[in-house]
Amino acid sequence: MNETEKLYQKKLERYMTAMDCGKPDVVPVTFGIGEWVVKYTGTTLQEIYYDLDKSNNIVNEMLKGLDFDIFKGGPCLWWPPMFDAMGSKLYKFPGMGVDENSTFQFNEQEYMKADDYDEFIAGPTEWLVNHFLPNISTELENPGSYRSTVALIKGAAAFAISGGVMAAAWEKWTVEHGVVGQTTGFSKAPFDTLGDALRGMKGVLLDLRRRPEKVIAACAAITPHNINCGVAGSGADTRFPCFAPLHRGAYPFLNPKQWDNFYWPSLKANIEGLWAKGKRMLFYAEGDWTPYLEKIAELPDKSIIFQIDTTDPKKAKEILGGRFCLQGGVPTTLLTYGTPEKVKEHVKRTIDELAGDGGFILDAGGVVMGDAKQENVIAMIEAAREYGVY
Amino acid sequence: MLTDALAKAIAELEEQQVADLVKERLDKGIPPLEIVNSLQQGMAEAGNRFESGEYFLGELIMCGEIMQDSMVILEPLLSGSNAEYKGNVVMGTVKGDIHDLGKNIVVMLLKGSGYNVIDLGVDVSKEKFIAAIKESNAPLVGMSVLLTGCQESMKETIEAIRAAGLNTKVLIGGNYIDDVVRDYVGADYSAQAATDGVKIADEIFGA
Repeated sequence: MNETEKLYQKKLERYMTAMDCGKPDVVPVTFGIGEWVVKYTGTTLQEIYYDLDKSNNIVNEMLKGLDFDIFKGGPCLWWPPMFDAMGSKLYKFPGMGVDENSTFQFNEQEYMKADDYDEFIAGPTEWLVNHFLPNISTELENPGSYRSTVALIKGAAAFAISGGVMAAAWEKWTVEHGVVGQTTGFSKAPFDTLGDALRGMKGVLLDLRRRPEKVIAACAAITPHNINCGVAGSGADTRFPCFAPLHRGAYPFLNPKQWDNFYWPSLKANIEGLWAKGKRMLFYAEGDWTPYLEKIAELPDKSIIFQIDTTDPKKAKEILGGRFCLQGGVPTTLLTYGTPEKVKEHVKRTIDELAGDGGFILDAGGVVMGDAKQENVIAMIEAAREYGVY
Repeated sequence: MLTDALAKAIAELEEQQVADLVKERLDKGIPPLEIVNSLQQGMAEAGNRFESGEYFLGELIMCGEIMQDSMVILEPLLSGSNAEYKGNVVMGTVKGDIHDLGKNIVVMLLKGSGYNVIDLGVDVSKEKFIAAIKESNAPLVGMSVLLTGCQESMKETIEAIRAAGLNTKVLIGGNYIDDVVRDYVGADYSAQAATDGVKIADEIFGA
């Protein structure tokens, strides 16, 4: 084994130990290169999104000399051309629909109407192909047409191209810098699939009163697909968790009864289904989940890593600690408005509060966006090394 | 405690009952403005329940939807009556950000409380904010932002409003908004919960 391979093994060991609620040699710390990087590289966000080589080279340069354990990736979540090829209405990208330095955003609409429930529930995949794709893409409006067929081929090819480029980039980062990726595969709460992508926030909240039984049936129909997505998307890898950004379950969207009846049963079934195949979920609880911690504690031990964004960290530790690995602790706003000194103070306090007996990974609470300061993000990983020795 | 049946029905989110009562009262010749007042009372109660933790966002949105459906019938009948607004409020999501869920809830609550809201939508430029404030003479402008990366454009908008010599009060809201952000962008008020908007407006307008 060369030095980098040894380094990789050491970091992997830390991550695996923490995930299993154990105590590694140091508190594992994550690092991701967000959109903030463009302020320091003289590029626009549009260039970073559209030119994968440019963005991957920036990542490669930055990784040199940084000491952290778990890598969360570079600044672009998607490669926009695959959406552009289909005339997608779903997203606005830098320079395409929003300013060249504005972040990409989801254009939430009722892409599925209330009348569509029955057909969707009877066959979700078929409904997606026949109705959802035409609704969300100008080029796919007439399924089977010449335009539609060409656009579908172009979109699929672009997806495959970006997958290949990103796989090669991750291999390079792993081999040259010894960093460990955080997740493999992707899943969502079935209620979020319905609420985010299909019915929209307002649509789904009104459905809870107007057609509650349809919401429950739709979530049940989505669940096996979301389990499969987490496993198949990662090529059946089970060492790493799948990433699951969770949205509508945050306080205060749903009242506790709605949460219990509509949000939780299908998400729980999703997590249990993944866990039955040995696949863990990075339960990326964006926002505040404090009122629901007791329910989350019903999950099988170690089946999730619980992300602390604005959830009360002490309560999370008290209720979930020891049975589930906790991750987070550094508020994203601190990375924007704080100073390196303040970040370091905060990291020290967080480690004192949350890291004690292991099962903890230091991370920014939520997605670190373009407004963060590089010196603060670097201060976070430096402080983790300074104060994180067990 | 609400005593009016219509106010109670909307506070309890009884969609069908509200529709029936509105129709029944119109048929009886009750002035549309009086019916709107009952609905507003009920909405205020829903807002109170949200603040006390009994109602969540789902209930607020439902309440707003019932109000909106009722207003489709009532609004055309209001012209000519002496419906008076408490005042003008300009609202919008700042440049670069296309999120409108939070803004729409606040707009709905303000309208329900009797304000005339000029809703500029999403991704609103500073020029558009300034033009709308000048045109409506609004003493209050509400700015919404979800993405932390767009808080900078909120700052620029507020600076432009001040540079234009307008002394309109500025209220900001959105997830991740707190006093630190308020001071950084130079706003007068920051709202943490959907119902804060109405409270702050009532304070400014002395309503």
